[in-house]
Amino acid sequence: MKKTWIIIVNILIMIALLSFVVFYSDYTNKETIQRQIEHFENTAITMEHVTENYLEGEQRICDVWARYINSKDMTIEEAVSFIRISHVLPNASAHIVFTDTLAGLSTRSRYADSDDYSVTYERTNLLNDLSWIHDIGEAINISRAYTNPVNGEQSIAFCNYITLHDPESGELEKAILLRVLPLSELEEKWVFPQEEFENAELSIIDIDGDYIIKGHSFKNSSFFEFYRSYNKTDPVYTQELFKTITSSTGSISMSNSRSEECILAYTPVTSAGGWTFLSLMPMKDLNASNENWLLIGFVSVGLLILLVFDLSVMQNFNKKLQAAAKEAAAANKAKTDFLSTMSHDIRTPMNAIIGLTTIAEKNLGDTQSVGENLRKISMASNHLLTLINDILDISKVESGKLNLSPLTFSIVETVENLVNLSQPMIKEKNIDFNFRISRMEKEYFYADQLRLNQIYINILSNAIKYTEPGGQVSVDMAEEESPKPGCVRLIYKVADTGIGMSPEFMETMYQPFSRQTDSRVNSIQGTGLGLAITKQMVDLMEGTIDCQSKQGEGTTFTVTLDLPLADRQTDEMTLEPMDILIVDDDEVLLETAVDTLESLGVTAYSARSGLQAIDMIIEKHQTGQDYNVVILDWKMPDLDGVETVRRIRAQIGDKVPILLISAYEWSDIEDEAKEAGANGFISKPLFRSKLYYTINSLLGTEVKTVEMENDYSDLEGMNILIAEDNDINWEIISAMLGMFGIKTERAENGRICLDKITNAKKGDYELIFMDIQMPEMNGLEATRRIRKLDDPWAANIPIIAMTADAFSENVTECLNAGMNGHIAKPIDIKLVIKEIRRIKEERS
Amino acid sequence: MKKLLCIILFICMLVSLSACNDKKQEETPEGFVPALDTETDCKITVAGNYDNFEALEAEFDRFNEIYPNVKLSYVKLDDYNNMLATVLEGNDKPNIFFSYTWMIGNDQYAPVYAHMEDLSNPDLGFDLNCIRPGLINHDAQDRVMLVPVFSRTYGMLVNNDLFEKEGLSIPTTWDELKAVCDEFKNKGYANPMMGYSLKSSSCFMNTIAYPLFTAALAENPEALKLANKLDPAAGEYLRPALEKVLDLVNSGCINIDECDKIEDNYTQVILRFFEGDVPMMICTADTVSGTKKRESQSEAFSKTPFNYTFSPIPVTDKGGYFIDSPSIQFSVNKGCDDLDMTNEFMRFLISEEALNEMASIKRLVTPTANMPLDSVYAPFGQVPSELTISPEVLGITDPLTVQVRIAAFQVGKGQISIDDAVKMYGSFE
Repeated sequence: MKKTWIIIVNILIMIALLSFVVFYSDYTNKETIQRQIEHFENTAITMEHVTENYLEGEQRICDVWARYINSKDMTIEEAVSFIRISHVLPNASAHIVFTDTLAGLSTRSRYADSDDYSVTYERTNLLNDLSWIHDIGEAINISRAYTNPVNGEQSIAFCNYITLHDPESGELEKAILLRVLPLSELEEKWVFPQEEFENAELSIIDIDGDYIIKGHSFKNSSFFEFYRSYNKTDPVYTQELFKTITSSTGSISMSNSRSEECILAYTPVTSAGGWTFLSLMPMKDLNASNENWLLIGFVSVGLLILLVFDLSVMQNFNKKLQAAAKEAAAANKAKTDFLSTMSHDIRTPMNAIIGLTTIAEKNLGDTQSVGENLRKISMASNHLLTLINDILDISKVESGKLNLSPLTFSIVETVENLVNLSQPMIKEKNIDFNFRISRMEKEYFYADQLRLNQIYINILSNAIKYTEPGGQVSVDMAEEESPKPGCVRLIYKVADTGIGMSPEFMETMYQPFSRQTDSRVNSIQGTGLGLAITKQMVDLMEGTIDCQSKQGEGTTFTVTLDLPLADRQTDEMTLEPMDILIVDDDEVLLETAVDTLESLGVTAYSARSGLQAIDMIIEKHQTGQDYNVVILDWKMPDLDGVETVRRIRAQIGDKVPILLISAYEWSDIEDEAKEAGANGFISKPLFRSKLYYTINSLLGTEVKTVEMENDYSDLEGMNILIAEDNDINWEIISAMLGMFGIKTERAENGRICLDKITNAKKGDYELIFMDIQMPEMNGLEATRRIRKLDDPWAANIPIIAMTADAFSENVTECLNAGMNGHIAKPIDIKLVIKEIRRIKEERS
Repeated sequence: MKKLLCIILFICMLVSLSACNDKKQEETPEGFVPALDTETDCKITVAGNYDNFEALEAEFDRFNEIYPNVKLSYVKLDDYNNMLATVLEGNDKPNIFFSYTWMIGNDQYAPVYAHMEDLSNPDLGFDLNCIRPGLINHDAQDRVMLVPVFSRTYGMLVNNDLFEKEGLSIPTTWDELKAVCDEFKNKGYANPMMGYSLKSSSCFMNTIAYPLFTAALAENPEALKLANKLDPAAGEYLRPALEKVLDLVNSGCINIDECDKIEDNYTQVILRFFEGDVPMMICTADTVSGTKKRESQSEAFSKTPFNYTFSPIPVTDKGGYFIDSPSIQFSVNKGCDDLDMTNEFMRFLISEEALNEMASIKRLVTPTANMPLDSVYAPFGQVPSELTISPEVLGITDPLTVQVRIAAFQVGKGQISIDDAVKMYGSFE
């Protein structure tokens, strides 16, 4: 449904609701008004009764006077005197006029002449027609409001016929007794009794509509005239209406002189034939619509707010839905792209593996060809493994399930591993590689070594990959004080002179599968996941990654991490006081090495070339005090390390121990160097601990490092139990370990493994490689059971996980189950051997 | 979407604003600045002899918009002329009362005159300049004790549709009038002209004679003096007017017997005219003032309405006269309660706006200088200035008017001859 339609429907609902409220309010309002009108009518009827009682009371007084006068055969003077005595109201008066002359006497004198009591109604036009005056006691004989001819006050009069004695003629004369009450006095008393009807006004009209008593709001001299003046209606209807008003009780709506709608209640004055009691009140006094409008207003505003709120929410919701849909579409596209990329990236090395395997099978006789094919298969396999690992990592990162598994580790080992891993490519591409450390005082950290390795390796391998042969790659690692308590800030900076990156690519380089579009790049194997993973890892470790790059000039990545220090640190390392000469063309390395050596308590001298070193050594020798140790860089521009050693030996003999520094694997030059007179080797970077142990070793014992590398005699005869349900995997690991003289025994699942270890004698097995996912009993459960065995040997036997579950939480899970280590499949035999040796060392 | 939302919010805002302005704002009559506390609570009564005074009550309502607590009422006094002095002395004395020019200098009304406030007092701030000077009467001390509220004139109601129907033109000269009457008679109209004739008060004879006599006196100041003195010598100046009255009666333009059937000089005159068969009904503007209301009361007019106007009676060869004299005038009772508020109301009333509005409602000629006329009075707007006469300016007194009225009435009724009437001038009572 379109938005417009939703709004229209909402508005229609609002209108419907408002209409209901309006109609209902109107209905209730009408009901309320109707009730009020009825109340008003009833009050008017009550008021009519009260008025009638009042008029009857006043008429009764007049009747009593008339009866008394008639009974006493009074003259007009006597009658007036009698009334004057009987009169109690201060403002009232009485007039007696003869019917023939309409003249007579008043009980009160005129203002102008206090002796003048005469009164005449000749010109008042009140008594010309006497038909409205009935006999005593028959009716209320009340006059219309008129001007009192004696004092000019607007008055009403209660009348009666009386008979007076004429003293002159001796006959009786008919006269009219008028009990005159000022209208002003009556108006003060004659008000509507109800407070809610305070604006109601009263009138009494006769059968012709002429006012007997007139309220202020009643205009004209006749009510009918008043009605006609301000209400448009046809004569026939008006006539009918007037008949109704003067003959029944009820109410009508009419306009007053201010064009206000009024309610007129009417009821006949029963004791006065033809009179009608009228009560007029503005309709607004009855109307309670203001409250209803308030209700309607509130409902309207409420509904509008609701509409606006709903629309806003809906709009917001739609936006989110749109965003979600866009994300879903993007995710779908990403998935498609991912599958497409994966398909390509997986098929490429697989193609190599399958193809080369086929070639190798056909050339089984040709050892050299097979060897070459196998080497290429191995490379393709490694690439495939990297790809799979990266994919798994990125999917973990994106699903937010990547957790860190902190362990105590040595940064020295990490760096060594880093250098080792990068060596083949550096050598292959003949890259000028430098790894410099600065003020690296701490060795052990408590962090996720695996992830840290990944970060460092990814950045370094990228630098190497994208640096053309003959280029330079330099790594600078330094320690700084961290703002986080208990942490050290480790700064890892990798600079290369590679192809660099475009600014556009730099904006998206941390997104998965981002690879720069460059013909040079296309020839380089990569998943496009490395930087994305690296960035996520750095973020996870709450560090920062910064990149400075210029296309064609090179790239510099700087990773800054605050790593917690491990409890364990190397003991205080101090060498005996001695003079050490360090020789390198790299000024930075030279400077940091001098710092490091001096921190070990020796006096360090530096030379920037082999020739300078030779001069310094000869000079020192001539003083009779040779340097205690000379540390020479292998690769120097003028005179390389081996040649320098040779010349030193030629000049001063074999006394001074010489160490050769190399950033590369020294196996290639080992023989030549030893022949020239080198006493040992030390790899870059020159960690404090490495210098300490190497120098101590050099001065105290012979060099063993190299020898250990290829001597596996310590492993021969070991018996390892391998819990592996997969036949091929069992065959591979068994064969690989067999190559090192290690005996293996298989357990097809966890239960068999448990049985075997339970039944084994002490020393039957030195180690267990435990697969995790196995039928009947998995590796974790088997480990837990073994750890619970009564036999202390069996319960404490080293168990190493060997599983394709390669995530950090899997590692943690294994360690928590009681295992001593973790090796991910596919297995790297070097790592396996290293792990076996570590276990052996720990056991010993 | 945004546009629709804006419209909804705008409507909401309008509804809200209209709710805020729920109470209808009261309009203050233009130009009137209250001089007293508008919350003043008092009562003002206007006394007069009109049965109804809706025009004045409309002004009460307007005044109440400014002074809501002032209770204004109009009261009709019985036997007004005789009772006024008593009323002014009594407990129920009015604040304002109807007054007439003839009260000035009349000993009978000396007590009334004594109650009148000088309305020309500049302290009162009354804008007397808004009234035509010819309507304002100054006494010997140059005081203005009466202020005109309406102007009266004499003329005839003309049924324009009837003239159109019969293809006749409305007469503008005496000869045309006679000729038109003949035409109507020939066409079967029994009464080409009618008027009230039962009593002398407002009788048609006076309506014809008074303008002619006034015009004659206007041309002869000496005669005016004589006439005002009620000197029988002035009777000769009355002769031409009486001759015109008699001419119309004798020529059959007016049938006295038919006119005598009109029972009163106001409502019945109007209702007779509304019957639709009388082309010309002689009356004063006071009668015209009742026409609007009675249109709906006349069954004949409701059934067959027609267009009518009030025109000067063309009693000369040049046309008819516009006698511009005050109809009713107001005086302030200087001994009344709440005199300040009474003067405030008078200040409110003596303005072009109020007087014109009252005249419009009452359907009388306004006394204001700019004189906007109701459409019924349109023919008077065309009367040339030489035919416009202000009796107040001329100095015509009330006793003179009584002589004309009675003389014309009796001659018209055939009770006396013109010669007798001329001789009897000054003796009519």
